[in-house]
Amino acid sequence: MHAVRNIRLCTKDCLCLYVCPTGATDTETGQIDAQKCLSGCRLCVDACPSHAISLVPEEYPAQQETSGDVKKALGILSKSKTEQEIAAYEIEEAAETPRAKQLAKAIGMSNRIMAEDLLREAGFMLPQSGEVLKLLNSLVESETSEDFPAAAAEKLIQKLRKINASMKEKTMSKTTDNLLEAFAGEAQANRKYLAFSRKAEQEGHLNAAKLFRAAADAETIHALKHFEVAGKIGSTIENLKSGVEGETHEYKEMYPPFVEQAEAEGNNAAVRTFTFAMKAEEVHAGLYQEAMDTLDNQEEVFYYLCPVCGNIEKVVPGKCPICGVSGEKFIKY
Amino acid sequence: MKKYICSVCGYIYDEASGYPEGNIPPGTVWADVPSSFVCPLCGASKAEFNENENEKAKPAVSSTSDSHASLPEDISYTAAELSALFSNLAKGCEKQYDSEMADLYKELAAYYNLKSEKINKPDFESLKSLLQNDLSTHFAMANDVAAGQHDRGALRALKWAEKVSLMIRSLLNKVESGKADFLKEKNVYVCDICGFIYVGDEKPEICPVCKVPGMKMTQVGRSA
Ligand code: SF4
Ligand code: SF4
Ligand SMILES: [Fe+2]
Ligand SMILES: [Fe+2]
Repeated sequence: MHAVRNIRLCTKDCLCLYVCPTGATDTETGQIDAQKCLSGCRLCVDACPSHAISLVPEEYPAQQETSGDVKKALGILSKSKTEQEIAAYEIEEAAETPRAKQLAKAIGMSNRIMAEDLLREAGFMLPQSGEVLKLLNSLVESETSEDFPAAAAEKLIQKLRKINASMKEKTMSKTTDNLLEAFAGEAQANRKYLAFSRKAEQEGHLNAAKLFRAAADAETIHALKHFEVAGKIGSTIENLKSGVEGETHEYKEMYPPFVEQAEAEGNNAAVRTFTFAMKAEEVHAGLYQEAMDTLDNQEEVFYYLCPVCGNIEKVVPGKCPICGVSGEKFIKY
Repeated sequence: MKKYICSVCGYIYDEASGYPEGNIPPGTVWADVPSSFVCPLCGASKAEFNENENEKAKPAVSSTSDSHASLPEDISYTAAELSALFSNLAKGCEKQYDSEMADLYKELAAYYNLKSEKINKPDFESLKSLLQNDLSTHFAMANDVAAGQHDRGALRALKWAEKVSLMIRSLLNKVESGKADFLKEKNVYVCDICGFIYVGDEKPEICPVCKVPGMKMTQVGRSA
């Protein structure tokens, strides 16, 4: 979105000039410099005392569908109105008195406006729509006349193609966003149900524990499928790289302020779980990096997981260097 | 005492209150209102008024039931229609401040304007018979179809165009009845938005049909 100024309303001397952070509003043409305008900042729009500025979208949603019968019915009238337009202008030309000319001209103008309005409602509302693109294509195909402005039509087709393609892309990337959001939700539900299942086990509700486990597995199935469809699973080397990135982000950027905040709030349990995770993620990042470097190495490697803090070691330690639990508790992979 | 409603703009003439500003005293029954009376709001002639039962406007054109029968087989556009279609898209681009694209559409509109089929020596009478066709059948059918599809946009366009058409017919009737002088000392304005033609002393404040502010009405000049 960029700002545009209605020159007829603008008094040319005030607030938009002061508030625009990029100077886009101050030009010798009186119009706002679209290149300089920040997308959708609208400071000038809100400041203008004359309501002379508005934001113009770069893209518009697809047009509302018009039924075929409505198009046909409106078409009968748009045909008739354009015929009357032509008749009126011919009368204007042939008329002998200035008053007859004037009336005929007014009727011609009027019929053009009615025809335009009827055709707009017959599916040609938006100048950038796919419907217009289709029409232009069919005209270019069928027009044989020498004086047909083919260059103008071609130029429009190019523009409309580009706009329509990017509109399609936008809708597709919206679905990708949705897949990733669903993935996050399902993944979270999986862990939540596992936690609930453990609790149910501790309280001796074995059936509930079982149901939570089954449901947790179900969410895993959903999560994995969403993730796959979103196209987020690459080759192993790509996936290791993604692992390094994710873990690095967590231990470098995400957890440190969390730990600090938890300390400030005196929430010791949170300090502890954040710190364990932060330190473990650093180890994970290192292990992913190492695995990337030695991907072609055939020799078998074993990993040992600390069940308390999530640390992973390649040799069982005497006790966990992060949380201090005894090495005997480590789980072998 | 009865009420009569202007089918073009909805103005109501109430016999009880008359129209004192136009020297029609309260209590004047419709039959006694002079035939030169025009709607104070939109300028439509007396013939465009309908008796107003239950305060509601009668549809200007009665609805026909089996009107779908005459819909064309497929959708095609004449050169003249393409011209209007593209000139309207050009207007749309201007609203979007895209003058480059507007110019391209204008080029197409101009081309199809030249390609439009001419009409063999039309006169006001033949123009009126084309218009009469719209008013007696086309609008009714199109209204039915649009109402059946709940297409409010189409219904809106049809409503405006129908009223504008009634106004044009009323003007053509005056021409026919030899009252061509009715334009004398008057100005003519065309609404840029709905096409309404206003004949009067000065520009109305708002368009009586589409209600757009008067600044959107263009005065049609008279060549000397
Ligand atoms: S929207 Fe913001 S950046 Fe654009 S012209 Fe207005 S104030 Fe300047
Ligand atoms: S704030 Fe509005 S009226 Fe003032 S110069 Fe800017 S656009 Fe014009
Ligand atoms: Fe009226
Ligand atoms: Fe209007």
